[in-house]
Amino acid sequence: MKQTFFEDIEDGTDLPSLTMGPLTTAHLMRWSAAVENWHKIHYDQKFAVEHDGLPALLINGSFKQQFIMQLLRRLAGPGGWIWKVRFQFRGMDVVGDTLFTWGQVVSKQRAPEFGLVEIELGIVNGEKKESTPGSATVALPFRDGPPVRYPFVPPKL
Amino acid sequence: MRGSDGTAIPAPLDPIAEARAYIGIETEWRTAADRVERGAIRRFAQASMDEDPVFFAESDGNARYGGPVAPHLFPMFMFVRPFGSADPLSERALDPDFDGTGALSTQGLPDITPLAGLSVLNGGSEVEFFSFATLGEEVKVRSKYADIYRKETSKGPLIFVILESEYCTLEGRPIANVRRTQIRRERPNR
Repeated sequence: MKQTFFEDIEDGTDLPSLTMGPLTTAHLMRWSAAVENWHKIHYDQKFAVEHDGLPALLINGSFKQQFIMQLLRRLAGPGGWIWKVRFQFRGMDVVGDTLFTWGQVVSKQRAPEFGLVEIELGIVNGEKKESTPGSATVALPFRDGPPVRYPFVPPKL
Repeated sequence: MRGSDGTAIPAPLDPIAEARAYIGIETEWRTAADRVERGAIRRFAQASMDEDPVFFAESDGNARYGGPVAPHLFPMFMFVRPFGSADPLSERALDPDFDGTGALSTQGLPDITPLAGLSVLNGGSEVEFFSFATLGEEVKVRSKYADIYRKETSKGPLIFVILESEYCTLEGRPIANVRRTQIRRERPNR
């Protein structure tokens, strides 16, 4: 995996996006089984719609957040570190949706040992609606510096 | 408040006020049911459609971590039902209101009784990462109710439950701090 350095990044840089889907009931069931999450709104159509009043089976928030992590890990590379990530599940993404995960650099600053990149991100669903707005802070090494220290020690800013 | 016959009528119960009494309640440190296992990592990575070699092979991507690592969020899903514990799926098989969640959604904290019967939705998270969990490691967690409040929204009144959890290895190396938002709401036709 190629390393991105702090100097490679500018405000406004778009991260390579990620498109996942269509996400079927099989995808949802596989995820639920992998993490032993038996919440019926992800696999029991009757319960989701008639009991909980949802529009359809929901794509798990815990599933969607993995796409965000994948996007950020590609930026961090082997020498960087994903320090913080924040996301809100404001909209419902339903079975059958294809999800588009995006990220854009909004600012950057130098810490003593590495650089910090602030990112806005989100997940857009099949109806072109932003369902999962969020943000992240990723530490990147300087081009002439060592990898970000591991385990990660938050910088004093 | 008094009734037509002049007798005092108790004030109606305020579920939010009662629920807020749970703020500050925290668990002891709990150790995950299993160590970090290769098979569990494989299922997690395949299910999230993220089969990066850092999770299963020696590579440039994980050399400085000492070999394959678990995905960043993997430790948050290690606290599943251990051997010998009660099985809610069987115990509540005939309960039409059982939504399939349980201790998983409360992170080991006691159920908030005043909010019983409300549906649960994942509202999002804030996570701060410090290290990966690696093969064979044991992971522990402690959690607490950090806040509980009601908010009027375009979709009606919603109740927000904020849970904070600290994850680290059994030896005490920090892995992540997580602040989760759960949304509770009335079910339709209730």
